[in-house]
Amino acid sequence: MENVGLQVEGVTKTFGSGDTQVVAVRDVSLRVNPGEVVLIMGPSGSGKTTLLLMLGALLKPTEGRIALDGLELSDMSERRLPDVRLRHFGFIFQDFNLLSALNVLDNVAFAAELTGVGRKSAREQATAVLTELGLGHRLHFLPNKLSGGEKQRVAIARALINNPSLILADEPTANLDSSHGHETMRLLREIAQKRSRSVVIVSHDARIKDIADRVLWLEDGQFKDVVEMATDPVCQMAVERERAITGVRDGETYYFCARGCRDEFLAIQHASG
Amino acid sequence: MFRLAVRNLTQDKTRLVISVVGTGLALTLVLFFGAVFTGATGRITAYIDCAGADVWVSQAGVRTMHMSTSALPASVTGEVKAVRGVEQAVPILYAEDMIDAGGDQYIAYVFGVPSDAPMGGPWRIVDGTSALGPGDVIVDHAIAAQSGVGVGDRITVLGQEMRIAGLTSGTSSLVSSVTFVRMEDFAQVRGGGDVISFVLVKVAPGESPAAVSSRIAESVDGVTVQTRGQFAAQERKLVGDMSADLINIMNTAGYLTGLAVVVLTVYIATIARRREYGVLKAMGVRNSRLYQIVVVQALLAVAMGFVAGLGITLLLSAVIPRFNELLVLSLSTGAVLRVAVISTLLAGVAALLPARQIAGLEPAAVTRRR
Amino acid sequence: MNVRRMAGPLRLLAAAARLAVRNLLQDRLRFALSVVGVGLSLMLILFLLGLRAGALRSAVVYLDSTPGSVEVLPAGVKSTAAGSAQFLPPETAGAVASTPGAIRVTPILLTMGFSEMHGTKEVVKLIGYDAASGGGPWDIEQGREPRADDEVVLDRVVAGRHGLGVGDAFEIGGRTLTVVGLSNESSSWTGSYAFARRTFVESLVLAPGAASFLLVTPGPGTTPAALAQRLASIPGTNVLLKSEVMANDQQIVAGIFDQVILLMVAAAFVVGALVVGMVLYTATNERRAEYGILKAIGARSSVLYRVVASQAVVATGVGAVLGVGFAYGMGALVMAARPQFIVIIEPTAVATTLAAGFVMAIAGALIPARTAARLEPAEVFRG
Repeated sequence: MENVGLQVEGVTKTFGSGDTQVVAVRDVSLRVNPGEVVLIMGPSGSGKTTLLLMLGALLKPTEGRIALDGLELSDMSERRLPDVRLRHFGFIFQDFNLLSALNVLDNVAFAAELTGVGRKSAREQATAVLTELGLGHRLHFLPNKLSGGEKQRVAIARALINNPSLILADEPTANLDSSHGHETMRLLREIAQKRSRSVVIVSHDARIKDIADRVLWLEDGQFKDVVEMATDPVCQMAVERERAITGVRDGETYYFCARGCRDEFLAIQHASG
Repeated sequence: MFRLAVRNLTQDKTRLVISVVGTGLALTLVLFFGAVFTGATGRITAYIDCAGADVWVSQAGVRTMHMSTSALPASVTGEVKAVRGVEQAVPILYAEDMIDAGGDQYIAYVFGVPSDAPMGGPWRIVDGTSALGPGDVIVDHAIAAQSGVGVGDRITVLGQEMRIAGLTSGTSSLVSSVTFVRMEDFAQVRGGGDVISFVLVKVAPGESPAAVSSRIAESVDGVTVQTRGQFAAQERKLVGDMSADLINIMNTAGYLTGLAVVVLTVYIATIARRREYGVLKAMGVRNSRLYQIVVVQALLAVAMGFVAGLGITLLLSAVIPRFNELLVLSLSTGAVLRVAVISTLLAGVAALLPARQIAGLEPAAVTRRR
Repeated sequence: MNVRRMAGPLRLLAAAARLAVRNLLQDRLRFALSVVGVGLSLMLILFLLGLRAGALRSAVVYLDSTPGSVEVLPAGVKSTAAGSAQFLPPETAGAVASTPGAIRVTPILLTMGFSEMHGTKEVVKLIGYDAASGGGPWDIEQGREPRADDEVVLDRVVAGRHGLGVGDAFEIGGRTLTVVGLSNESSSWTGSYAFARRTFVESLVLAPGAASFLLVTPGPGTTPAALAQRLASIPGTNVLLKSEVMANDQQIVAGIFDQVILLMVAAAFVVGALVVGMVLYTATNERRAEYGILKAIGARSSVLYRVVASQAVVATGVGAVLGVGFAYGMGALVMAARPQFIVIIEPTAVATTLAAGFVMAIAGALIPARTAARLEPAEVFRG
């Protein structure tokens, strides 16, 4: 099975028929490679939720095709979908939605157990993931004893435990304060890069642009704007490529937030000759 | 406040239905059992009430019929007749015995009545005749129906095979029924002898049964004399005494079960509203007000359950006798009132638990983020 | 796609069950209340069955404790339930005694009567017997058997209830007797046995020499059935095996009891199922979001079915254990407070009750399980 990421081609979703027909998503195409973070933004009613549901194999498109790692999702029978979601997707929701009766460890382990893994093994895997995410000291806490940021991290751990190729996040920072929000964004970026996962985030939160490779603006069911993002190598700020100040070095193009950073970058090169 | 209680309770229709039916059934247990006993007791005194006698003369010390035997020398009839105020005196033989009909056994009060007796015989015939010939028997029609026999068929009474001459109604209950045979036949089975069981007395017009009763008691030796009312009361008291313990036990079990259902319902309804109550508290509403809401909720829950239980029992009272004529159900007002009062107490108890929960609620709990 | 291991489904069931239990226990109080509710319903069922078993036992305790395996009854009589309209004429005993194979004849004169004590009417089944032939009290706690016509042995429980002891007076049928002994195992809620000399009871019922029935003991080498056959030719009798008579006596009691009990057991059963249903229904409703999440991340409907089903099984399982305990407790309580009641909780009844609990679980879980399984995961994303 190839890890080629998410492919969305000409996807349309129509609800109803005749006079009451509503086209929620119109001819949307998208490609998310492993290691990429894509942010989908847009006003309410733009079709974000519908698109998200289709990406998550929770809704079938009326037209078009969606494939993940070569698996044709849009075509698959209903019976197989839950299993695909379980093993190939990681979901992160706005409201954390952890199982309130289970502690942190069991919350994450449960997702593994759903695949048929035994309890002991699931717990070991969960411990590993949670420790990596810095929650090793919270394993036996119940969700109601955690801060918002910690809860989101548990949700992320749960999303990761079955080694999915696609992470789908729905407003992951909406219920978090600023520092926890940053933390979550940083984590998602890390997951994408270090683990080579495709990450798709649907959000209103403009700060997420900072970690995205691409920002897509969805309006009336269509992508109206696609913005490629880049990171300034000097000050590490996220910049939109189109508007950024460019500089070339050794044949590679770099993007900067201001001339100052570019000049500094190129000067260093010159200096080292 | 009342509206809030009502809304809390009724908002979740499914849960409401479940709890009302559950409580209703538990209370039905109590009402049903009571109705069975009241019904049976009513029928048990059927003969005493309807035989036509104002005064009953029995063996000294015998005050009841159920599970009793009374034996008097036949001469007592004449002695009784001689007493002033006695218009008619009819001797009868009585025994509690088994009748064997269609292969099944039934407990029966068997009465041996003299031919052409002005009273003591069957009072409501629904099939056949009320005239008893030699070897004839008259039985209750429900018993006949249940064992599949009818007029003209033969059944075993007092160990003898006898022919059904007629069927009566209103003469059977869960535990026994009334059966009539000729006194002569009865006496013969008994091995002849000059023994009778009771003397039925009709008092002359204008005479009071109580007065005649005392006179008989004074004039005749070795007898116990009671008016019809006294006799029936004794009989009912006997059955009541015999069943009091059983009824109490069944009632306790029923009430406990009903209580559990109500407590569970009110608790669930309260917990579901915990946030709301917390908000109310934060707004300054006092605990006592919140208790009121919970109590009203509990009362409502029980009231609805009670109505449901009453409805179910009435339904059963109407339906069951169609399938089983021996199971006569009679809901007395007293029983209904008693259950109502106890149910109200149960509601009070049921409200205690959620009330404590509310008292412990922190108003601030509501504002804390999830 | 990974190949699923065979053990996977079982592990999944275990995981679902564990989640189910944790969910149930999160609201401890509600869990406690619900298992108590289920327990009480099952207790009621088991207790009713126990009362019935006790009543059936009481119906035959006398015959069971008295010697003889063949019973000679008056013609047309096949049980001892209703007492005594019919008597066997005096010569019957002689005819029976002279039948080959009959080594012991126990004539019994049984009459029902009342004794009014402290304003309460106590039903007394008065056994008139001959000391020489047996049929008297089989377990005397205190005192001795009656030797004179004005002596009586009373049941210990009834005597105790009215403060009667050996030497006190006892009134029945207008006569006064002296209590000379107290017996065990002789009371039930339909009345108690009292034992007196047969001659006394004869005078009470004005039937000298009469017997209600004869119990006959066959000698060595004679089977009860064979003896019964030989005795059958005696005129005016109905000869049955004692065991047959006992069965008939029980049939009469069962006939009355069962009609009432059936309905009550059914009602108790429905109440239990409703309790389970109510708890599962609210528990499932509360967790709509959580279950929706589970489905979204890829849990199948079957997982949710199992969660709800497990909750039903656990709740009724615990409830059943409680119920059995309650029933034993209730039985003990009742027998201690009112010793004339006998509650016998038989293993088959326990098994039946547990089975009823299981069915209760299924009935109560049906709708909530379907609701959980049918949840649309899309609900979880509200945009």
